[in-house]
Amino acid sequence: MKISKKLLQKALGLSFIAAIMIFQGCKKTFLDVNPAGNVAATQFWKTQSDATQAVSAMYANLHEWTNIAFAPIAVESMGSDDVNKGSTAADAAFMNDFHNFSASAGEGQISDFWGGEYKTINFANQILDNVPAISMDASLKSRYLAEAKFIRAWCYFRLVRAFGDVPLRLHVPKSASEYNIPRTPKAQVWTAIETDLTDAAGVLPQSYAAADVGHVTKGAALALHAKAALYQKKWADVVNYTNQVMGLGYTLFTNYEKMFRTENKNNSESIFEIQCALIPNNPNASNSQYSQVQGVDGSTGGGWGFNVPSASLVAAYESGDPRKDATIIFRGETTPEGDVIPATGNSTMYNQKSYVPFGLYVSGFNEGCQQNKIALRYADVLLMNAEANNEMGNSAAALIPLEQVRARARTGTSPAANVLPKVTTTDQAALRLAIYNERRVELALEFDRYFDVIRQGRAKELFGSRGWTTGKNEVWPLPQNEIDLSAGTLVQNPNY
Amino acid sequence: MKRIFTISGLVLFCFLFINAAFAQTAVKGTVTDATTGETLIGVSVSIKGTTSGTQTDVNGTYTLTAPAGAVLTFTYIGYTTQSVPVNGQALLNIKMLASASQLDQVVVIGYGVQRKIDNTGSTVAVKGTEIAKQASTNPLSALQGKVPGVNIINSGSPGSSPQISIRGLGTVYGNVSPLFVVDGVWYSDISFLNNNDIENVTVLKDASSTAIYGIRAANGVVLITTKHGVKGRTVINYNGYAGWQSVTNQVKMANATEYATAINELVVYNNNIGDPADAKPPLFANPASYGKGTDWYGQILRNAFVTNHQVSISGGNEKTTYELSFGYLDQDGLVRNNNYKRYTLHISNDFTPVKALKIGYSANGLYSISNDPPGGIFHQLFSASPTLPVFYADGKYGDPADYGTGNGNNFNPEATLDFNNQRSVNHRLTGDVHAELSILKNLKFKTSFGGDIGQAESRGFTPIYSATAAQNSKNTSLDLAHTENRNWIWENTLTYDYKYKEHKLTALVGYSAQNNSAYQRTASADNVPYAKNGNMYTSFPAGDSVSYARDAGAQIHNRALSQFARVNYSFADKYLLNASIRHDGASQFYPNPYGWFPSVGAGWVVTNESFMKSQHFIDVLKLRGSFGKVGNSVVPINPSVQTVAADPYLTAIFGGVPVQGASINSIVPPVTVWEKAQGTDAGLEAGFLNNKLTFEADYYIRKTEDAIFAIPVLASIGTNSGSLIGNQASIQNKGFEFSLTWKDSPNRDFSYSISGNIGVNANKVLTVQSGKNPIYSGGNGIANGNLATRTVVGEPIGEFYGYKVTGIFQTKAQVAASAQKATTAQPGDFIYQDTDHDGSITSKDRVVLGNPNPKVNYGFNTSFTYKQFDLAIDMQGVAGVDVYNANIGYRFGNENFTQDFYDHRWHGAGTSNTYPSTFVGANDNSKPNSFFVESGAYFRVRNAQLGYTLPGNSLKKYGVQKIRFYANAQNAINIFGYKGFTPEIGGGVGSLGIDDSVYPLYATYNFGVNVTF
Repeated sequence: MKISKKLLQKALGLSFIAAIMIFQGCKKTFLDVNPAGNVAATQFWKTQSDATQAVSAMYANLHEWTNIAFAPIAVESMGSDDVNKGSTAADAAFMNDFHNFSASAGEGQISDFWGGEYKTINFANQILDNVPAISMDASLKSRYLAEAKFIRAWCYFRLVRAFGDVPLRLHVPKSASEYNIPRTPKAQVWTAIETDLTDAAGVLPQSYAAADVGHVTKGAALALHAKAALYQKKWADVVNYTNQVMGLGYTLFTNYEKMFRTENKNNSESIFEIQCALIPNNPNASNSQYSQVQGVDGSTGGGWGFNVPSASLVAAYESGDPRKDATIIFRGETTPEGDVIPATGNSTMYNQKSYVPFGLYVSGFNEGCQQNKIALRYADVLLMNAEANNEMGNSAAALIPLEQVRARARTGTSPAANVLPKVTTTDQAALRLAIYNERRVELALEFDRYFDVIRQGRAKELFGSRGWTTGKNEVWPLPQNEIDLSAGTLVQNPNY
Repeated sequence: MKRIFTISGLVLFCFLFINAAFAQTAVKGTVTDATTGETLIGVSVSIKGTTSGTQTDVNGTYTLTAPAGAVLTFTYIGYTTQSVPVNGQALLNIKMLASASQLDQVVVIGYGVQRKIDNTGSTVAVKGTEIAKQASTNPLSALQGKVPGVNIINSGSPGSSPQISIRGLGTVYGNVSPLFVVDGVWYSDISFLNNNDIENVTVLKDASSTAIYGIRAANGVVLITTKHGVKGRTVINYNGYAGWQSVTNQVKMANATEYATAINELVVYNNNIGDPADAKPPLFANPASYGKGTDWYGQILRNAFVTNHQVSISGGNEKTTYELSFGYLDQDGLVRNNNYKRYTLHISNDFTPVKALKIGYSANGLYSISNDPPGGIFHQLFSASPTLPVFYADGKYGDPADYGTGNGNNFNPEATLDFNNQRSVNHRLTGDVHAELSILKNLKFKTSFGGDIGQAESRGFTPIYSATAAQNSKNTSLDLAHTENRNWIWENTLTYDYKYKEHKLTALVGYSAQNNSAYQRTASADNVPYAKNGNMYTSFPAGDSVSYARDAGAQIHNRALSQFARVNYSFADKYLLNASIRHDGASQFYPNPYGWFPSVGAGWVVTNESFMKSQHFIDVLKLRGSFGKVGNSVVPINPSVQTVAADPYLTAIFGGVPVQGASINSIVPPVTVWEKAQGTDAGLEAGFLNNKLTFEADYYIRKTEDAIFAIPVLASIGTNSGSLIGNQASIQNKGFEFSLTWKDSPNRDFSYSISGNIGVNANKVLTVQSGKNPIYSGGNGIANGNLATRTVVGEPIGEFYGYKVTGIFQTKAQVAASAQKATTAQPGDFIYQDTDHDGSITSKDRVVLGNPNPKVNYGFNTSFTYKQFDLAIDMQGVAGVDVYNANIGYRFGNENFTQDFYDHRWHGAGTSNTYPSTFVGANDNSKPNSFFVESGAYFRVRNAQLGYTLPGNSLKKYGVQKIRFYANAQNAINIFGYKGFTPEIGGGVGSLGIDDSVYPLYATYNFGVNVTF
């Protein structure tokens, strides 16, 4: 077949020109491609579903590594007299620096803790800045905002007791000029915490339908408010807020040991609980390592064996207190759930409150990733109430909640009368010590002891032999990296 | 011996002019090598001043019709071009002179070809035959040591693609790989190509050569032409080999008695610093009772069989040429049960329906099936305790839990292997269709549409089993991953050739559009019945807990739109000028997608000056220089577009049910653009002694500006990454490259060539917007989250950074008197240098420990032919490079030790002042320090091949043109001082050179035959 060369030439020449014209014509749109995989931020904050997702992301961050595992152990637990480092002597030896008060500003756990809290604060601020403009169910919107305020207050509470003055961010920074801000005096941080909690308590419901369990409640806001007041020694406020919580229907869970097992998540005593789960085929979402890092080492389904109970804690229990066995796994014992703890583990004792029976372990997941962490519970509220009442001179009123806590501890022991006798002293100093010790054993290994002792003014006395120094160790150093990046805007805590 | 060599693209170079026709006469003849008398196949024969032409066939003969007064031009790669007047002769036999010099060669350049003498850039061509010789499954591996300035790292798991970088690292966050252009189609990897289907490879190194590829050119460009048919008799080629791979330079591990001794020592060190209440007895009561124990490497690894077959058919006539090839590779892995089967298909067809029009296509298909080795098996072999038997006497698996060895080596590698069941299947179709039309005299239009469609699937199945305490599963589970990519590229060019007196000009304009997309999905389910080799999806998703996921980072969609132009001008073959410009738009940077990428190159062929004509020592001397600006768009996608984070970790639990969350946890820079690289190159090319000796040298400076660099930001902002990336740094690579080749053929029986090349590169971060803030990286294989590399202004990218070891503590008194904490340090530990003399060891005492960026790459390539024998030996090496031996310190418990470590370890005062005790993986000992940094220099006989070709005529009666037998050895000899498995360590930018992979080095030996019908 003969094709006219000229015709072909013309046709192809024209098609070339046409091709160029077509591309020139659609050039503008051709290169406007939405990034694949991720939704652009400009498409977010439009619908109620976006608000719901943002709230979920904020809660999810609470069970992330820096919020629930190593960093909290280092910053909130290792300094106390309840624990030792655990694991092999050499494993994560930096934890010892928190036990010996030799941790420097460069320690990774300090920056992890700091960063972890601020990440959660960012998620809360994103909600508080962006959700108000979303057109959605009004009552749900105000609840979401109240939840964000609670979570923000929770994070600042953890920051202020660990570091003192901290940069107070109540909005998402909008431009580079808002990135680098100085520390806000801790009194103002406390004020911001209390404001958020007052707002939250005014809006949050007392409870949720089954599908929403895990969202924070009015009781949580009041309980945290009481705790914020406790750290500021605002005793009347503590009494006020704890009394309000005590009117909300919480009850102590009868079996102290079982309270911490996965089948009793969100029980009648639980006020604020970090929700965790083993989500089949989704190990990345089942990311809580709270139980894993404290689990019995050397046993499949156990864990890494950090943050282990100390001899001092064992000695703190009154004779026959069943909470000792419920709180501490002793090497070589058989747990109430039937796990045999090898006598050859690295530590003589392990935390039983974070313990998840080995049989629940699923290969490919973190051991115990299904364990919730109870962050605020009713016994804590009762003991705050007792402590504040006693400080205000109402020792009789203090004895009532104290006895409630001790009575529950006694339950199930036999003969019941022989252990944990009722405290009857009305001497303020004696009762104070009794409440302090009750608080220690009742809330042992629940990440309060270290800061309790500091706020009680007894740190030099109890931790001094390990190196705790007045005028320095009331707070940890700010992360060195953060100080460096601030180029002088952030000033380090004294003596670091 | 006949040579089969052609480049289809060459043909267009010959069609310089269209002429009016006049009296025609038929001419035929044979083209032979002037020295050897061999016939030459695929020589381009063209009628000067016309577009008419042909090629010699498989017998070296040609036939064409030409005007009686015409002049025929004969062009062939590696030979001097000849022009011969027909003068009415019907028979015109031509003897072509091998130019020996590569300078007369025609080289492939972006969107065309050019005589090498006219080229002003730095390009290196490697023939397909050299690549086909090597028994590597990826053609890139075969380039190692062949091209100065190109660093290729063959590491990673066996079968994975090698890493390549050209002229150093110019990016921190982007991809360091060059752009690959196969038959005009752009790719980011070429693992789909069979070595035997490659005609030639050209590496474009300097910015003026690559600038025509604009926004993708910053890391260099590798151009690959696949084989196309040659006019003439049908040629059938078979190449097959069989052989085996075996582990070489195996690192010896401590035996069971030694292991037990070492672990007992470790128990004591642990007791020393622990709570006395937790003190433990020795783990092994009687170390000697364990004897030699289990040799885990011997148990799991094997000599792995490999066989490869390739059949190709090619031929054609005036109107049509074709090439069809089929390849089959069956390669066993070193790990038992691991196997890789690959089928490749290559088809190309070219048609010339009318004189002015050529159309054609080429296509490559790949299908592969792999029984994958278990992930982490190599590390298990390295860690496994030799005291553990493979099986107990009762047939049960030896269980580490029974020995209380704890974490780190609580696996029985045999059980890992036996219950591993993972298969991967890959499909890939790539290729292009193209048409080329001579529109006017000297004006050609070419259009080409290329595509790449790929689909990769992998399936892992876990059965119900119970092997050891740590290796068991109560339910079955199935994991699937499915990845697809679909890319297309459409390119149109107009080329104009002009010649007037001594002026020669080629001008090119072009227009290009492309679209790349990739999707990935993963799925998993529990309690799924096992379907053996059937459809990967048969039993899915009939199980429990079915989940689907897509990784946001693996979803890609981007487009590019570009215009480009180039002018190549030469005057009297003496003065050369090449200039190009490209205007590129990339959707990743929308709404500011466009950039300009100009380049210019100039050259002076000194030997063509009249004053040089009288001397006969120097045949060719060319000086050249070039400058260009290019871009790197393969950087984090859309860095300025803030996106919504919806990662799995943002899953909240309400009412016991997971709820996926999403929010914003990033900050982004206001505007981000591609990285811009500026390349300056000065070169010299020379040929001496009738071009027996050729020499090429280059000096270059390659500077990346607006390099994407992360600046750390305050953690209190609450972003997930803790850094803000943007165009915030500049990076420089500068260096020299030399290559020297001696080729001679003293007589008809003997010819040989020896060439050497060397590339020297220095890498440095010049500026970072925020000043001195370093980027710490390289946490892979380092215990306790420590980071082993630092990138900072004034230093190379990703230097090793840590404590300097000045000795080993011998006594407690020495510890107490040191800057280290007596609470944690003990005799046998490293003594660290107190660099700032503040009396304590802090992070401020860290110093630079080494540089993973190789300073020197070199290669020696030799070939000898004597009568029927041929021998080629390629050697290659790297010097001035450090590696970080992370495996020694990466310990969680009672992992095994290497024999070297065991033999030299500190185990009491005075036993060693260089090696620490078995406490090496613990405490401060595990922090990055100088003990772990070793020289990564090596020298290797990369490939050696000995061949024998049966004498010429003996098999002709059976239709066999040629038959050659050969034996090949790859990586047979490796010389290095490094104490790990191999000093060839890859890794991403920032973790380059950190050895945490423990893949053994292996050599491949095979025997093959090459038959041409």
